[in-house]
Parts: sequence; structure tokens; C-alpha cells
Amino acid sequence: MATESEGEEDAATAAGKLTGIPQLSVEDDLREMANKAAWSVSSCKPGNGVLSLRDDNLDTYWQSDGAQPHLVNIQFQKKVKLQLLVLYVDFKLDESYTPSKISIRAGDGFHNLKEIKTVELVKPVGWVHISLSGTDPRETFIHTFMLQLAVLSNHLNGRDTHIRQIKVYGPRPNPVPRQPFHFTSPEFITYSCLR
Amino acid sequence: METLLMDRVQSSLRLFMPKNAIFLCERLCAEFPTESNLQLLANCYLGNNQAYCAYHILKGKQMPQSRYLFAISCFQMNLLREAEAALSPANEPNSEVPNGAAGHYLLGLIYRYTSRRSSAVDHFTQALSIDPLLWAAYEELCILGAVGGASDYFSDVAASRIQQQYLSESSSHKISIGDEDRSIQSSRVLGLNDSSPKQPKNLHSNSIKEISNTHVVMAAGQAANSGSSNLSLYNTPSPVASQLSGIAPPPLCRNGFFNAVSCDGSSKPAANAAILAPRRKAMEEGRLRKVSGRLFSDSGPRRSTRLSGEATAGINSNASQAGGGTGTNHSSSSRFLGGFSSSSSKTSSAAFRTMTGRKGPSCISESFDEGRRKTEVFGDSCGEDASATMSSVAIFVDCRYLEEDKINLHAGGLSVHDSKLINGIRELLGLLRTLGEGYRFSCMHRSQEALEVYQKLSQNQYNTGWVLSQIGKAHFEMVDYFEAARFFDLARRVSPYSLEGMDIYSTILYHLKEEMKLSYLAQELISTDRLAPQAWCAMGNCYSLQKDHETALKNFQRAVHLDSRFAYAHTLSGHEYVALEDFENGIKCYQRALQVDERHYNSWYGLGVIYLRQEKFQFAEHHFRRAFFINPRSSVLMCYLGMSLHSLRRNEEALEMIEKAILADPKNPLPLYQKANILLSLERYDEALMNLDQLKECAPQETSVYALMGKIYKKLNMHEKAMFYFGLALDLKPPATDVAIIKSAMEKLYLPDEMGDSL
Repeated sequence: MATESEGEEDAATAAGKLTGIPQLSVEDDLREMANKAAWSVSSCKPGNGVLSLRDDNLDTYWQSDGAQPHLVNIQFQKKVKLQLLVLYVDFKLDESYTPSKISIRAGDGFHNLKEIKTVELVKPVGWVHISLSGTDPRETFIHTFMLQLAVLSNHLNGRDTHIRQIKVYGPRPNPVPRQPFHFTSPEFITYSCLR
Repeated sequence: METLLMDRVQSSLRLFMPKNAIFLCERLCAEFPTESNLQLLANCYLGNNQAYCAYHILKGKQMPQSRYLFAISCFQMNLLREAEAALSPANEPNSEVPNGAAGHYLLGLIYRYTSRRSSAVDHFTQALSIDPLLWAAYEELCILGAVGGASDYFSDVAASRIQQQYLSESSSHKISIGDEDRSIQSSRVLGLNDSSPKQPKNLHSNSIKEISNTHVVMAAGQAANSGSSNLSLYNTPSPVASQLSGIAPPPLCRNGFFNAVSCDGSSKPAANAAILAPRRKAMEEGRLRKVSGRLFSDSGPRRSTRLSGEATAGINSNASQAGGGTGTNHSSSSRFLGGFSSSSSKTSSAAFRTMTGRKGPSCISESFDEGRRKTEVFGDSCGEDASATMSSVAIFVDCRYLEEDKINLHAGGLSVHDSKLINGIRELLGLLRTLGEGYRFSCMHRSQEALEVYQKLSQNQYNTGWVLSQIGKAHFEMVDYFEAARFFDLARRVSPYSLEGMDIYSTILYHLKEEMKLSYLAQELISTDRLAPQAWCAMGNCYSLQKDHETALKNFQRAVHLDSRFAYAHTLSGHEYVALEDFENGIKCYQRALQVDERHYNSWYGLGVIYLRQEKFQFAEHHFRRAFFINPRSSVLMCYLGMSLHSLRRNEEALEMIEKAILADPKNPLPLYQKANILLSLERYDEALMNLDQLKECAPQETSVYALMGKIYKKLNMHEKAMFYFGLALDLKPPATDVAIIKSAMEKLYLPDEMGDSL
């Protein structure tokens, strides 16, 4: 589950090349956003559908069944702030089904998706954390209605892909409504709400 | 065989062997299917938590005691409408409520849970007026917010009423307060077949058919009493007895205070079993349970034995007087009219009552011994009288003289024991008054005053779990979490098995962010009692502290399932839904909590927060105001009310409210912060800065303060200062959203302000 860490340990040494890490490590002030989103995929094999992407079970996976690029679409009901995308893939188990090039697009709907990030995976095993932030501190989050994850190619030139789990994270809202800033000190937090 | 069976059943019940009791009682009912036997069987079922059985066997029965038991079983099975119908049938609006105070209490509960607050209040008040020691009714009144003052209920008037119930006639007047005298006198007078004016307190006496029945009643009453009481469960009062049985303690509780048993109407202790059998049929109500004990019957009309028996019975030497005997149901008469009654009851055998488990003031028990001695003396002297009536009359006359003259020797003797009784009653009432005041203040959220009141308690009473938790709660309401935690800790040490109030303790630990203590508490509570909602609330709080809101929600839902009348579990579930941003369900949960307890201000607050988030400011303001109305001393509520007013752009009112909040609790930094915020929006920058400077002192690590200051300086175009403060804020490592905002603000500092700049 979410554990506190100093920051995601991406081995992003080579530009944009990622390998997975066995632990899911997400900062405490982020929370999973996609429970209320509508998930869809471009194609799937019966029995390995989109539900397997969200079932918290690393043994079940989504298997695509069509032409590349394979797409996972995540649509929200309102514009949300997103910061992090995490997916679980396993080269050892999936070999040629493991995605290698992933493109992430965001927009208001299918008609105006714009690519915001491309990453390359190298024999990943475990959770792959993909930060959605830009370089600018003002761009820590992306505000969007829809996120699309496109698998452009697989390892060993496989046609279809397996992804075992996907999670999307965004910032926690301020527990005290209508405040410009969060409260951080215990004195403030104690008095900030009733329970 | 019947009496034998009844006896065994009752002793099994007393010794907590429900299965034995049920089996024997079923045989009894098969052989002698009378309604009172059915009542006994219902008792056994209720004792074994099989309310549904009791429901079925008592369905449709009309005797008051049966109706009462039936109502209890309906209540336990949550069939509130049927329970209500049983207790106060729709087509007989003026019929008396069975079992007096207990019946009223039960009715009050039913009305409360079916949201008919004013009727509930009525019934609780009535219950208390019949029986001033019915603390549960007082508690309910406090919860409903309808209590004037504890002293109203536990007053001298109440004292006198209890005295009538307990005291022997003669003695009382000597020591009692004036009106007590009168009331006692009146009760005695009642017995007297006169049409002496009755005092309003002894209301039920009206129902007594006095004169003609007096001695029959007395005898009957006594017989009846002894008969039934013999088997200890029911004191069947004399047939004259009206529907109301005197003060019956609610079945669920207390053995302590009353010789409740004694109260059955004219309860006269004693009666011969033989005499009983026929008499019993004549008797009307059974009383629910002989809380205090049993009456033994003496054989026949041996006065001396009777007298001694009665004397030893201790507490209730019953008021023979016809008053007592006459089946005046109200407790006053039935209770002891000490020695007198016994003597008058010459006709009936004396019965003893052993008051088992009486928690009354100890002095009363002492007084018994004395009373006994006096009674005997007196009894003998009266023994000469021929007829019971005559003797009773004589006694009454004596009594009256006594009251007037206060000379009577016996009276004098008895008065000593009575005085102890009176003192005991006074002490008890005093204690209840203090506790009642404290509890009332707590419920009205006047915590400071509640604390002061509790300070007045004696050491022994103070160091009990209940009081300490109440004090902890009071501190909690004042947002003084450290003190509150300390008191709850003490409370846990004093009574580690008690779960009352532990949900509040878990919330306090949540606020203080004490993970270890909280999880320890939760584990302990669950191992103590897996079926208590408080334990699961504590567990849920534990998970919530670790931000695992889904599991927390599951735990709270479990608490809800265990007891859907536990308002706090609903509120906490609501909080979790809000944390999960599921506002619809959150609203539902809060509303459910409010259905259970309308004065649960946390739920009003929760609803307000949801509407604030959804930007429905009018609703938010309304709900915060309701919460504030219930708890006008919470600075947090005032703060939120101010915030919602600010969102509605009613800034003047907002500022007013914030000022109040600042005054109410100087330790709370939030109102100052909100004030600065509002002032900022009103462009009163300097004042805002002043406030924030103040805040800097008390909360130097708070990033939002510095961030807000930076924002203000930016507005004032004092860029260096702005940068300085933004930098300070960033150094304290605020969460990512704030970092983004602050950094972008810093970047824009040296650029011209754009339109629609959020900062």
C-alpha cells in the first residue's frame, strides 16, 4: 500500500527509461483518484478485461486483442488534478507481452488528447511510477478530464500486451474546505475540525 | 404444586439459571394457565434474551403488567408501534400506564425513537415525577435537551415523595420538612377511609376505593402481597389497586433504589400461601420483578409473628394503613408505613421482605433494626385491638395526633429510624442532584459549569468510571484534549471493563494523533466486548488516523450494525465518507445520526462541511448555525460559521462570529487565521497582517500563516517581504499543492498581476 518515501525511486538514469520497483511507494499526500473514473480499453481478450486492471490483484492482467497502439482510457466526471501514474508489469512472467514504449495523453475527451509524456520501459519487473508533473513547479499537477495510456510497442515486438494493475494519484484535498493553504502544524490541525 | 413451582422458578431467576426457570415455568403454565403465570414465563424469557418468546405468549393480554412486559419485548424486537399500542392503547386514551414510572419511561423511549420529541419529554417528566430516583428518565430528558434544572427533579418535593414511599408515618413528620409531613399525613389519611383531602402528590390514591374496602383491602392487600410476594416475583396488590403499580423500576435496571417490590400497590408483605391462592386470582397487577427481594409469608393471623416478621422485613414494614394496604398503588402509601401498618394489618400475616441488593443509603438499613424494635413494641400495644380496621383507625388517629402533637412515644421511637431514612433520602437526592446538574450542563455543552459541579462530589463518587468519563467529555467539548485524555485514562484505570464513553476517548486520541495509544485502546476494547459499538468506533478511528478510510468505514459500519441507535457511529461513518469524497453517502449517514439524536451537533457540523465543499453556502450556513445553536460554546463551530458567512459574502457577520470565537477560546489559533483571511478579502491588509503576526507567535511552524502573509505582502507590492515569507513557508515543507501555489506565486511576483490571478 502507500508507504511514505522520499520520492519515487525511478531508475531514470537513461532519459526516460524506466524499470519497475517491487514496492509501491507513493507519498502520503497523494491519494488514488481513479475510483470514480470510467475505465475503458481499446480491446481485450475475454476473461482478461479492464476489471483486471483495477482489482488489486497482481495475478490477473489485462490482455489486449487488436492492433497497436493499445489504449487504456480513464475518464473523470470533472476536471481533476493528477500527479502520478503507476502501473505494474512483469517482464519475467509476460516477456513479449510486456509493454516497452508508453505514451500518456491528456485532454478533455477523445477529440483533443494531447501527449504529455512518453516513457520507455526496459525489462520492468514491478511497479513503474510515471510522474505526470512538468518541470515547472507550477506544473506539478495536470488538470484534466481524461487520461489515456497508449502502449505503442512491446518487448520483443510482441503484438498484444499485458498490464497487471494501474493506479492514478492526485493530491489530497484540503480537509478544511475553502482554505487557500493546507494546515501543517499540530496546533492548527487540532482545532481545524470536529469529529 | 403451583406455589412450589413458582417459588423454584423465581429462585432460579434470581440465581441466573434461565433455562431451569424457563423449563419449570413452562410446566407451571401448562398446569395453571393463569395470566400471572404467563407473566412469570415472560419474565424468564426476557431474562434469557428471548424477547420474541415473551412477545408471543403475551400478545393480546390485557393485564397491565402483561402489557408492560409485552411492550418491553416489542421494544427489544424493535416493534415500536406495537409497544406503544400496548402501553397506551389508542382507543383508551385515558387509561393508566402500567407500572407507573417504568411504563412512562418506556413510553418515553418509544416516542423518542419514533421522533415524537414532545410526547417523549412529557412521559419522561411524568416518570420522574412518579419516581424521582429514575435516573435513566432524567438522562433521556437531558439528551433531548428538555431539562430545566436538576434541582427541579431531585428536589425536596421529590424527597418527600420518596419518603412517603419509604417512611413510616409517624417518624417522618418529626424530622421531615413541613410539606413532607403533610404528604405523609395525607397518605396516611388516605388509608383512613376518610375523605381526607389528599395531597396532590399521592395522586393515585384517587383510584383507591377506600372506605368500604379498607380493611378488606388491607387484608387482601396483605394477603395478596404476601402471597405473590412469597414467590417473590409479583407483589400483587390488592384488588383495589389501580392499574398503576407504584414505583416500578424499569426492568432493565436497578435493584438498588427501591424496595420497588414493596411498592406494589398496597403491598403488604406477608400473606399466607394458603390464603394467597384464592386471593392471588383476585389480585390485579403483578409487578414486574421483585427487585428487592421476597416476601415471606407468615402463617395466618398471628399478630406477633406478623409483626416481627414485618419488622424484620426491614424496610417495608408496610404501611398497613389502609393507605398502604388500600392498594393505593402509589408507592407512597404502599411503602412503609412502618410499624403502624403492620399493626393495622393485623389481619394479614406479616411478610418479610428482604431487601436484597438494595443500594439505598445504608442508613436505611440501620433504621430498620431500630424500626423493628419499635414496631414490635408498637405492634404489641396495638395488638389488643380487635379488628384490623379499628386498630388501623386507631393507628391513624394516632398518627394524626402524632403529626399534630408530635408527642407519640412510638412515633418518637420510630422517628429515629425514619430520620435516618430521611437523611438517607436527602443524601441520595443531593447526590443525584449534583450528578444531574453536571450531566445537564454536559448535555447543554456548558462544560465549564459541568466541571465545577462535578468538583462538588465526594472523593468516592468522583473516582468512579462514570464521573471521570463525564469530566473527560466535558474537557473534550472544550477542545482541551490533553486534559480530556488524562481523565479518560484515569477512568479506564478505575473501571477497565467499562466501555461507556470510550468512543469519545478514541476520538480524543485521534485528535492528538497518538497512534500507539489509540490502537492499544481499540484492541483492548474489542477484546473486552466484541459486540459493543464503542469498541468498533475506536478501531475505526485507529484506521482513520492512518488514513485508511475504507477500512475505517467498514469498522464504523460494523458499529452501526451492532447498535443502530448509537448516533456517534453514524456520524463517524459520515466523516469517513466525506474523506473518501462520497458526499451523497456522507449526507445520508449524518442524517441517520440526526434521526437518532437531533442534538448531535457533530452531525450538523458534518453536513455543514459537506455543503461548504459543494459550495452550497446557504445550506452550509444553516447547518453550522444549527450546530452552533446546540453547542454555543465551541470555538471551532463559531469559526466554521464565520467561514460560511464569509463565503456568503456577509463579511460583517462573519467578522462578528470570528470575534466571538476568538474570545471563546484564546488557545484556538484558527479564528485569528480566518479573520486575517476575511480581512484580506476586504482589503484591510494591515489589520490582516497584525493578526497574522500574532499567529506567528503561537504557531511558528505553520506554513499557511507565512504563505498568507506572503500573499498579503504581494498584494501590497512589498516584494521582498513577500519573497521572504514565501521562502519561509517553503522551508517548512508544506504539501505539494501548496508548494505549487507558493512557487508559482513567487514566480509571478515580479511580473505584473495577471487578470484572474488566483493569488
